[in-house]
Amino acid sequence: MDQKTTKQKNIHNVLYWGLPVLAVALIVVGWIAFSGAHPELMPSPLQVWQRFLKTFTKPIAKTTLLGHAWASLRRVLLALLVSWAFGISFGILIGWNKKARAFFGSIFEVIRPIPPIAWIPIIIMWFGIGEFPKILLVFIGTFVPLVINTSTGIEMVDRINIHVGRIFGGNDGQILKDIVIPTALPSIFAGIRTSVSSGWTTVLAAEMLGANAGLGSLVTRGWQGSDLSLVMVAVITIAIIGALLSTILQKLEKVVCPWND
Amino acid sequence: MEKQDLGAQLIAWRQEQKKESIRYVLLSIAGICSVLAIWQAAAMLGLVDAKLLPAPTKILETLIFKLGNKAPDGNVLGMNIMASLRVALSGFLTAIVIGVPLGLLMGWWTYADRFIRPIFELVRPVPPIAWIPLVVVWMGVGLKAKALIIFFTAFVPCVINSYTGIKLTSRTLIDVSRTFGAPNHEIFWKVGVPSSLPMVFAGIRVALGNSWSTLVAAEMLAASAGLGYMIQIGRTVARPDIVIVGMVVIGGIGAVLSLILSRAERYFLRWKVDR
Repeated sequence: MDQKTTKQKNIHNVLYWGLPVLAVALIVVGWIAFSGAHPELMPSPLQVWQRFLKTFTKPIAKTTLLGHAWASLRRVLLALLVSWAFGISFGILIGWNKKARAFFGSIFEVIRPIPPIAWIPIIIMWFGIGEFPKILLVFIGTFVPLVINTSTGIEMVDRINIHVGRIFGGNDGQILKDIVIPTALPSIFAGIRTSVSSGWTTVLAAEMLGANAGLGSLVTRGWQGSDLSLVMVAVITIAIIGALLSTILQKLEKVVCPWND
Repeated sequence: MEKQDLGAQLIAWRQEQKKESIRYVLLSIAGICSVLAIWQAAAMLGLVDAKLLPAPTKILETLIFKLGNKAPDGNVLGMNIMASLRVALSGFLTAIVIGVPLGLLMGWWTYADRFIRPIFELVRPVPPIAWIPLVVVWMGVGLKAKALIIFFTAFVPCVINSYTGIKLTSRTLIDVSRTFGAPNHEIFWKVGVPSSLPMVFAGIRVALGNSWSTLVAAEMLAASAGLGYMIQIGRTVARPDIVIVGMVVIGGIGAVLSLILSRAERYFLRWKVDR
């Protein structure tokens, strides 16, 4: 009886730790096999690694891989700062004030369903392909989730809490600052998280459609120059930075709203 | 006497509420109208360059023109809409059919989770748009290639939400079923899956939004028809009215799709009691 359970436990352990290893091994073997059979469709892991090293010794468009990564990140960060300031205040405004919601909320609802990427052509027509239009695009892409999350969070605040605040003689400003905004904070933070991942996607789209620097421009450059290793290097870098950003925000969320599990 | 007073008060209060909601509707209409009016006035007074931002009336004119004319992108509006919908829906539906069961499996059976998760976590952080060059090299620019890109974007929220949804199944319900002797797979079907549905639908809603917005990117980078293609052509031939018509149609269809989905959600979850 005892022996059987230890045997079962062993099987469990082997499966539990073996399966993830098997999965990763399958991917690696699959990649090597595919690139071996069709080198024109997929560079091998080794080629991608060598291409990665080469980006440091032989700059592309005058900067290294890190420079391109920073160009993309900088655009996202600048746009995020503006959009956090405007998006959260606008969300609070239309979540708190019913008249403002009726007036501005309707305008927002009309613009909202247009995907940020659909703005790219008109913004290029208006402002060219410089730095400002890209930041503007990322702003559009990040503004929408922030406003939606903030205003929903504010609307969801329990009426009772607001009434209690009023009975205790709080004015509108105090109620907003001490009751409503703290309650809506997890929701606002969810908006911030969405805005970061949405901003990261939008900046790539903007860069892929016309830019001299940035990871998105590397993707297009590799694509047009039939340099698939460069495409892979750029894609992997994009994925790693995206994953890092979302990890950082998860940690930050634990600090900012520790009561939210 | 007192009762009547209360009744009268209630009626008065209801009327007041009704008046207030009408006031808000009017205010919303005023909001949209004032934007349109400012835009129109600015265009007519020449404050904005008509080559950059044509007047709303001109946009409407172009919209009607595009219904029956192929210029400048080679398709009438209806054909572009059909092309876009076909790509978006094929990728989106494939993602639901594969992603939802996969997420449910991962959430219910640990070994499935252990095996699939590493693969999923490797693919997940890559923005779908970044797949475009590789997919185009592999499969060209046909329906399959674009549908695959849409698939990537819709797949991730389907998996994550189904996984989370089934993980959140109440322990008590599972234990009760177990006590009554139900085998694991039966508990999965009769308890786990139904209780995960609200989350699954939330994931499908996100997936739909993603599909529709990525579609535009896919069509702008590589296509010969579709709404994204139309606005891209509108840009190259310097026709802002075409671009804006495209944006408006994309937005409108996106809104309609999400409306249809929330109707479907209400139908499928009609057994759910809201508390």
